[in-house]
Amino acid sequence: MEPLIEARSLGKVFPMGGGPVHALRDISVQIAAGEYLTIRGPSGCGKSTLLHILGCVDTPSSGTLRFDGRDVSALPDHARSDLRLRSIGFVFQRFFLLPMLTAAENVDVPQAEAGVSRADRKRRTAELLDYVGLGHRAGHRPSQLSGGEAQRVAIARALANRPRLLLADEPTGELDRANGEHIAELLDRVQADGTTVVVVTHDAALAERAGRRLVMRDGLIEREEHAR
Amino acid sequence: MRALIFAVRSLVRQPGRTALGIIGIAAVGALLFDMLLLSRGLVVSFRDLLDSVGFDVRVTATDSPLPGGIRLTDATGAAAQIARLPGVAEAVPMRTATGEVWQTGRPVIGLMLTGMDPGARRPWTLITGADLGPSLAPPDLVVNQSLMDEVGGALGSEVTLRTGCDSSRAALAPRTFRIVGIAQFPFDDEAQRTAVMTRTALREACGDDKDEADMLMVASSGGAGAAVAAIRAARPDLVPVTNEQIVARMQTQGFTYFRQISAVLSTITLLFGFLLITVLLTVSVNQRLAEIAALRALGFSRGRAAADVLLQGAMLVGAGGILALPLGFALSLWLDQILKAMPGIPASMHFFVFEPRALVLHAALLVTTALLASAYPMWLVARLPIATTLRNEVVG
Ligand SMILES: Nc1ncnc2c1ncn2[C@@H]1O[C@H](COP(=O)(O)OP(=O)(O)O)[C@@H](O)[C@H]1O
Ligand SMILES: [Mg+2]
Repeated sequence: MEPLIEARSLGKVFPMGGGPVHALRDISVQIAAGEYLTIRGPSGCGKSTLLHILGCVDTPSSGTLRFDGRDVSALPDHARSDLRLRSIGFVFQRFFLLPMLTAAENVDVPQAEAGVSRADRKRRTAELLDYVGLGHRAGHRPSQLSGGEAQRVAIARALANRPRLLLADEPTGELDRANGEHIAELLDRVQADGTTVVVVTHDAALAERAGRRLVMRDGLIEREEHAR
Repeated sequence: MRALIFAVRSLVRQPGRTALGIIGIAAVGALLFDMLLLSRGLVVSFRDLLDSVGFDVRVTATDSPLPGGIRLTDATGAAAQIARLPGVAEAVPMRTATGEVWQTGRPVIGLMLTGMDPGARRPWTLITGADLGPSLAPPDLVVNQSLMDEVGGALGSEVTLRTGCDSSRAALAPRTFRIVGIAQFPFDDEAQRTAVMTRTALREACGDDKDEADMLMVASSGGAGAAVAAIRAARPDLVPVTNEQIVARMQTQGFTYFRQISAVLSTITLLFGFLLITVLLTVSVNQRLAEIAALRALGFSRGRAAADVLLQGAMLVGAGGILALPLGFALSLWLDQILKAMPGIPASMHFFVFEPRALVLHAALLVTTALLASAYPMWLVARLPIATTLRNEVVG
């Protein structure tokens, strides 16, 4: 079967005043549809950069990236936006929910952007908030939610348009242990329900949950581990 | 979530800043609106004044549109000839002069005198008393309120008036007139003293043997243009002009100051509005960079993110611009009063006059300002590097 993601020799260089920074040197990885992959490694080793490139938020300086068989390494901006909107969900360390909108409205935003009808959006939003266990908090603003709750809303938002791929960058980075555990369980469930999940994390416990784990160092994949 | 609701929420989220923007634009817009009312106010108001008199063509002996040039002679004959032309409803000769009211033991009162027979139309509007009659013993006088106040007597009382008809002629002996009515004269200012008598009475007072008039006031029956053409054909020696032509001449010669002042002040005003909105939107965008980057990561296109900024700018300017109208209108009334206190301004003339085109221009200028003011913050949003912004938010 063709992998959902196929990265070949990805490199990323940031031209800086004090000389170029090689954030990614030579990364090749294939991710099958439905897989759960975690990426860990010391700070600054290029995890976020890799995640951004896999999520079509950034472009590689070298190498190629195929998403669902299609070369996306050099797509124009609007095409990448559209791909992200419909096929990729992002979860951020700091949630980045829109503070002026309620939980339900935050989940509604990407669906409206994708042109989903009002009735379908309403149904899907209710379903997603129930899925993350926050159906009763639909009308609450992010400021009225705990960090763990906000991150669950953010996951619901990332899943709004039924993406093939869910990407999370340190999703438990701002949370205490109990809440982190809760998010980890939720991500397990998302993967079990058929979405490909890639998580970047420092959190060893979270990293251990995935069937496949990459360990990075200095812009390279140092090793790959598999759960037995 | 519709783009509009989205933008409204973003604005409501920063109530202080939004209020500042709207109030700022309301103030800027009020000034702008006033400048637009001012730019053509005098001209429009002058045209209305000319039209209100009921005559739409003026015929003089020379190219000067206002009294003071060479006079028409045989005015009665000329008026009769013109009145018979097709397209002309009425033609009335008018002669102006100065006058002095003499009262024993009191200072002399100077005034403006008109000699004109009341026809179907007349430039004055009677308030109390009677209009001019043919009596010459003594002749009737209709005066304005300020002259009446100055003279002091009652309607029907007699006054001694010395007329000044020509600087070249010797001073004339004072004559007695009877004040029969009080009227309003359209070109009067607050302080001006004015009186009108029949042309025969003025002719006699001036000792004028050539039947002179400063101009013929003509009312057309089928449009001023046609009347002018007919008059030109019948009397090539005379110069007929329409009110429109007088206004056009004023516009290019007399009243350009206000247009220029208005243009300069409008530009400065709009510049302030532009800066205000640009600064507010830019600050707001800079505060929300991470949020915008997150939305972009979630699939918002560049255009969509930039449109959100434009919409916010448009709503600030729109709300402020609407608020500016009543504010500007009130301000214009006040400014108009201040300017009208200048001496020599007819009481029924205004510096700030509303025309629908002012509203259209107001809207168009504000829309342009909103577009220009949003351009820079929109550009910031459009070229926002998503990955770097997200990373800076966490690292920084
Ligand atoms: N936008 C950027 N500009 C310059 N350098 C960057 C940028 N993004 C990342 N880097 C550099 O690339 C390297 C990898 O960064 P990052 O992917 O954020 O690491 P990690 O997520 O593993 O902590 C670091 O050395 C970082 O300084
Ligand atoms: Mg990182």
